[in-house]
Amino acid sequence: MASTTSSSSRNILTNALRGAGLMDRDERMRDIQDKPGGRKGSSKIRAHRQRPVDNYKDQASGPSRVSMLTSRASSSEPLSIRGASRPTAAGRIRRNAVSMNTSKVPGMPATSTTNVGIKVMDQWREFVRSRYNRETKFLNLERMLDDPIVQKHNLLVPGVPGSSGKETAIMFKLAAQLRPAVQTLSLANNHIQSGKDISSIGMFLPKLANLSLANNQLKAMDDIRLLTREKNKLDFLRELVLTGNPIKGDDPANTEQYRRDIVKRFPALEMLDNEPIVKVGFDAPIPHTNSSHRLTPVPTTNSFACPMGASFLTGVSGGVVSDFLTRFFTLFDAQRSELLDVYHPAATFSFSANTSIPPRARIQGLHSTLPNQRNLKWDVWVGGGNGGSRNLTRVGNVDKMAQSLHVGRENVIQSVLGLPQTKHDIAGSPSAFCLDGWLAGSTLFVTVHGQFTEEPVSALRSFDRSFVLAPAADDSRAKMKGWAVEILSDQLTVRGYSSSDAWTPGPMIVQPIVASKGSQPPSLEAALASVPEPQREQVARLCQQTGLNVKFAVDCLQQNGWDHERAIANFAQVKGSLTRDAFL
Amino acid sequence: MSTLTRDDIEIATRAADQFTRLYYSTYDSPARTIDLPKFYRPSSAITWNGNPFAGANGIRELLADTPITKHEVQCFDCHPIPGSQPPNLLVTVSGTVTHGNPPTVPSTNNAKSKNVDGQPRVFSQTFVLVPDPSAIPAKTGEVAKYYISADALRFVG
Repeated sequence: MASTTSSSSRNILTNALRGAGLMDRDERMRDIQDKPGGRKGSSKIRAHRQRPVDNYKDQASGPSRVSMLTSRASSSEPLSIRGASRPTAAGRIRRNAVSMNTSKVPGMPATSTTNVGIKVMDQWREFVRSRYNRETKFLNLERMLDDPIVQKHNLLVPGVPGSSGKETAIMFKLAAQLRPAVQTLSLANNHIQSGKDISSIGMFLPKLANLSLANNQLKAMDDIRLLTREKNKLDFLRELVLTGNPIKGDDPANTEQYRRDIVKRFPALEMLDNEPIVKVGFDAPIPHTNSSHRLTPVPTTNSFACPMGASFLTGVSGGVVSDFLTRFFTLFDAQRSELLDVYHPAATFSFSANTSIPPRARIQGLHSTLPNQRNLKWDVWVGGGNGGSRNLTRVGNVDKMAQSLHVGRENVIQSVLGLPQTKHDIAGSPSAFCLDGWLAGSTLFVTVHGQFTEEPVSALRSFDRSFVLAPAADDSRAKMKGWAVEILSDQLTVRGYSSSDAWTPGPMIVQPIVASKGSQPPSLEAALASVPEPQREQVARLCQQTGLNVKFAVDCLQQNGWDHERAIANFAQVKGSLTRDAFL
Repeated sequence: MSTLTRDDIEIATRAADQFTRLYYSTYDSPARTIDLPKFYRPSSAITWNGNPFAGANGIRELLADTPITKHEVQCFDCHPIPGSQPPNLLVTVSGTVTHGNPPTVPSTNNAKSKNVDGQPRVFSQTFVLVPDPSAIPAKTGEVAKYYISADALRFVG
């Protein structure tokens, strides 16, 4: 077991190492000579809180230090684990400190007393650099406890009592400074027990491609969840190894579920535990690791390419589509079981609830003024329809994913019968609905946007519904019941109500026009006239947002390369020091 | 026509998840006019609010004349369409999109706060994704490479 897992942990890096030879521990000699650390580190760690204990030297002593020391010593046996030269416990405490002393007098030579924090950072940096192979972009942090540098400086790597996520965060932060950027990271064989030890990987190495956590003590999916939190998730991770952790379990029956749970969390994952993940690919842009894409001009247009257009059908007669939709929605409202005929025997159906409040409808007060809106409840959709909403941004469970997709016409009817009653006012104003349809081969795609009244609440909902239709085969139930087409796929999205004005044909406004004539004070308008046309609107916007006058707004924008957000941020920094004449 | 297997459903779901993330982050990126057309082929049919565009060039043209965007995907769903193997995928997405710079904090002035200009719109977008028989899967475990064969977008709120 141990030998297979440790060899598999090495396999992760086959690609990275191919053609470059194996990582040689002695690489560190080269890197150490390559000026490790330096002063740079001091400014990078300012965020860490300074602790008074940082200032103590080994020889120094005091009551507070003694008590800390005692508690430390009683709870740990780190030194015997390492069997290395036994430094004083006080030294350990001092070196725990990751903060630095910032009270050093500029120009004065640093004393050992004030320089302790920097020294610790330098030790970490020495260690991280010694483990980096630039050619393969491989940071090998395996078996850190055995490392001579770790032992020499008593660095608090995972597995040493008293270590915390903080120390690993330092390593990953230093790793983020390595050039070329780290592509592969191995933390195999490190006694890592908690997701906290690895939670900062995504923050510091967001573009990481390969990660091995083999042969650690990660037990729960929650530990992995910490790797993929909101902003710090590893969206570009291609390969992950978790073999030799309790989380994987020994029962092969659970392996499927484990793999699904992991795969769901890492969108780019291709290999898990040395086995490929079956999936489909896209010609997606590869993540930019340099800044070349910044050379692309950002479009500055403030209008749309086209106005909102009317319903659009191509390759198909409007009659076929409207006959289908009229009959479909009439039956959907009145007699859903009759729809059995129009679904293909292998048809698919699902519905999704988009429960977010539409921003424009909220501003217009539609949900507070229209009748009965407040009585609408989402649970009839979220949990209804014999399997519940299939909004895949919410559905995490693999079983639920399968249950909420209804395959086969009998299952489709079972599902729609479990949904709330509806009234689609198809005989009413045609502008209440909008559709786009096109023919591809013999397959017809139709998307309908519109609204219905949900019963028994009698309040409006908006919906989008996409159908994939095929000509009804001669011997099909659909044909026999007089349908020209039959349904292959049917996807319904139910949303909070928005007015059908959204698709009224005509020009659409991108941004409110803030610099329009008459809306500005006369003095501002006159001053704006002196600004060249292309920049006038931006200047006017900044004036409105900040209260700056035109002269200072132009200065501020110029100093920030006409980057509006930077200008705003810059203003926020300096506004306290501006005098009255900077403002309108 | 064979019935869909659980595997088909899972692969489709995973594909949609990956697709929506990639597609909208590309759409919102400064390099969108270079990167977004890669999802399309010359034959792709596109309708944007009822206006037709054709193929990768069409989307490039459209993007060149569209304000910068910020999409928030709130809801998506995906079916493997019965009758094809590997299956074509029907993906529907809804969410909000902000055009141009995000709106400033709504004014306390009552009359002004009713102004929806510059506020996020609700969008609904339907894609048909199909496997490209000529593309060689490049990555480990990839069963096929997909592209957008059809794309219909509407602002709906």
